[in-house]
Amino acid sequence: MVEAGRITQGAVLQARAQPVTQVRVVIILVTLVGWELLAQSGLLYRDVVPSLGKIGMATVTLLSDRDYYWNLGVTAAEIAAGLAIGGISGLLVGIVLGGSRLLGRAFEPYIYYLGPTPKIIFFPVMIMWFGVGSGSKIAMGVISCFFPIALSVAAGMRQIDKVLIRVGRSFRANAWQMVTKIYLPAMRHPVINGVRLGLGVALIGTLLAETRLSNQGIGFLIYQAYTLFDMPRMYAMLIVLFVIAIGANAIVGWLGGLHTSNATDR
Amino acid sequence: MAVATTRPADVVPATAPAFLVVDDVVKQFATPDGTITAVDHVSFTVTPGEFLSVIGPSGCGKSTLFNIIGGLIDGYDGNITVAGERVAGPHASIGMVFQEESTFPWRTVIENVAFPLEIAGVKKAKRIERARHFIALVGLTGFENRYPTELSGGMRQRVAIARTLASEPKILLMDEPFASLDEQTRLLLGDKVLQIQQELQQTTLLITHNITEAVQLSDRILVMTYRPGRVKRIVEIDLPRPRSSDIVSSEAFGRYVAQIWSDLREEASRGMHEAEALALKAGEHG
Amino acid sequence: MTTAILKRGSLAPALLGLGTLLTVIGLVEMLIRVGVINRYIVPLPSQIVMSFGRLVTEEDIFGRFRLTFFEALSAGALIAVVGVSIGILLYRVNVLRLACETWIAALASAPTVLMYPLFLVIFGRSAATIIMMGFVAGLPPVILKTLEGLSQTRRVLINVGRSFKLGPMQMFIKILFPAALPTIFVGLRLGLIFTLINVVGIEFLIQFGGLGQLINDLSERYDLPGTYGAICFVILVSVLFFIAMERVERWLRPAE
Repeated sequence: MVEAGRITQGAVLQARAQPVTQVRVVIILVTLVGWELLAQSGLLYRDVVPSLGKIGMATVTLLSDRDYYWNLGVTAAEIAAGLAIGGISGLLVGIVLGGSRLLGRAFEPYIYYLGPTPKIIFFPVMIMWFGVGSGSKIAMGVISCFFPIALSVAAGMRQIDKVLIRVGRSFRANAWQMVTKIYLPAMRHPVINGVRLGLGVALIGTLLAETRLSNQGIGFLIYQAYTLFDMPRMYAMLIVLFVIAIGANAIVGWLGGLHTSNATDR
Repeated sequence: MAVATTRPADVVPATAPAFLVVDDVVKQFATPDGTITAVDHVSFTVTPGEFLSVIGPSGCGKSTLFNIIGGLIDGYDGNITVAGERVAGPHASIGMVFQEESTFPWRTVIENVAFPLEIAGVKKAKRIERARHFIALVGLTGFENRYPTELSGGMRQRVAIARTLASEPKILLMDEPFASLDEQTRLLLGDKVLQIQQELQQTTLLITHNITEAVQLSDRILVMTYRPGRVKRIVEIDLPRPRSSDIVSSEAFGRYVAQIWSDLREEASRGMHEAEALALKAGEHG
Repeated sequence: MTTAILKRGSLAPALLGLGTLLTVIGLVEMLIRVGVINRYIVPLPSQIVMSFGRLVTEEDIFGRFRLTFFEALSAGALIAVVGVSIGILLYRVNVLRLACETWIAALASAPTVLMYPLFLVIFGRSAATIIMMGFVAGLPPVILKTLEGLSQTRRVLINVGRSFKLGPMQMFIKILFPAALPTIFVGLRLGLIFTLINVVGIEFLIQFGGLGQLINDLSERYDLPGTYGAICFVILVSVLFFIAMERVERWLRPAE
């Protein structure tokens, strides 16, 4: 009877998946057809909406271009460095501010209100401090992701069940042990969410900086395509970039989720 | 110990008209581990003005029973009638008070209590007036414009009770309304409930696992077995009315509690052993 | 957040924060004057403060402020109306929700701002481009949080509604929506952050509009104190915007 139950459950799930896939297929088809119609109609200036064929060709060309991968590497390295520096400093500041009521109330408002400020406006300053090369781009990544990570970690610290902290203290754990064995495991979720958010804004900050002033990197390539009005190539790069960004975000989320498989909190 | 399957005729005196009739109700659930029977051929009645408690160990199906009578669960065998009408879905004559936090946090106390009147289309001025009456009944006069977050847990439950009373149900159904409160608050709130029930002559069905509470408040107590939930015994509580929480120190009270505990203990320990066995089994498979 | 802090009795933390900030500024001023920090990279804080006057009179900073604020407000209103509506739609039509929710979540992590050259070509160098980009950037969080708020209504509140025999419309208006409001506001805050970032960022990049453009101009003129001063004004916009949001939220949700 149990096996029959399991089988019917599976069948029900499959049957229920049908309409969803159908809807998705319909949405995709409508979008693609609409796009192609718009491209052929000539309503917008030539190539603002290029035909799907042209975009497809451009994508293939792009992915077989060695130069592209080199630029991709440059950008990826800049983002990684920015995320590492901003992430670690954000983590430390978050732990300090979240752990102390006084320090938190004193300094967190500054981070809270500075957070929503678009970091691109600091780019001219970054150029002055770090030059026109990768340094300023990495700096952009750092100041972009520092704030959301610090805020998420601080909030995460405050929501840790106080009793867990008391347990740690009662066993006389030192600061390092408290951080690695109690704080970090207990606030996995907020930290991972903060890192995802940080990744998103670091990506944006670094790429925007590259479009403004650079001679390498994906942002530079995109801007170059725009100035040359090579729209299909620009779209191709945007598509690949979006896929990578979504993929990276999913990977971070998955990595975070992996550690929650035996979570008993919440 | 023999399990008594009580039928309505056995327990109800011929003269008192039954108000709520639960007739041979069976409810089963399909789970990955097979079918479990939550409620197994349960029958009983509640007469007008009566205070009946249903008591049993955790997992005996009493909350399922609560949801069935309240019309929130269907797919059961048997019959449930209120004043002669069959229950199919939430019934206007039945008022429910839930175990969990159920006040609307975005409404003030008086807006919470006036809610059923608002639904019924009563005009605002009349609503406010009626709501004040019920707020006074539960002893929360002065708190009309406060928000639930500003009140204690016990006060919030009183708001929930006032809200349900405002719909003037013929029968009040309560599922462990004081479960999250401390013992002293429970006793005092129990006093309040007694007072209200006596004043309104409100027919009440209370689900609880707290023996003291059941004996303090009830005219009769229905003791349920552990899963599958059956009626083990129905106990008449012959303590004088009107009552107050002082009654807990009387000898008769102690005897009732002891009697019910001896019935319950067997069921409760059966429940505990089964829970341990399940945990062991899960550990082996996980 | 500041309003909450000001309400608490103790001023000590606020003083500590402010005091540290002023001390650091004073330290920087000293270090520059002494020559440890290059004054062509970091201008004297006193000069930055003095530039405020100039910014007001010569650069029409309040006018630009208004323009940026207006753009952000328009985009914000759009994401609120469109985002919450789509969130409600997805909640009602479960098939659509199952199909689209993960896509929208993916969109939230994609750098949509990079499409600005495209929007430029379509809408031209105008406020429309800026508002549309702000809209696109801030929309996903609002939709997702609206969806989350509605579907995570506590079971017992729904049961209260059922026990009082509420119809579907009544259930939605009197229980589901009010219960979801806190989460919806979290989504709005998040969306507005992205919107604001994009509005000023695009102003900076396409050199049009209010404060973003000003910063760009000043930096290209190598007016360092002015650049830093304008950045301070942008921070001010951000602060005001979020305090305004908190006020609106407090008015709509007096329960907290």
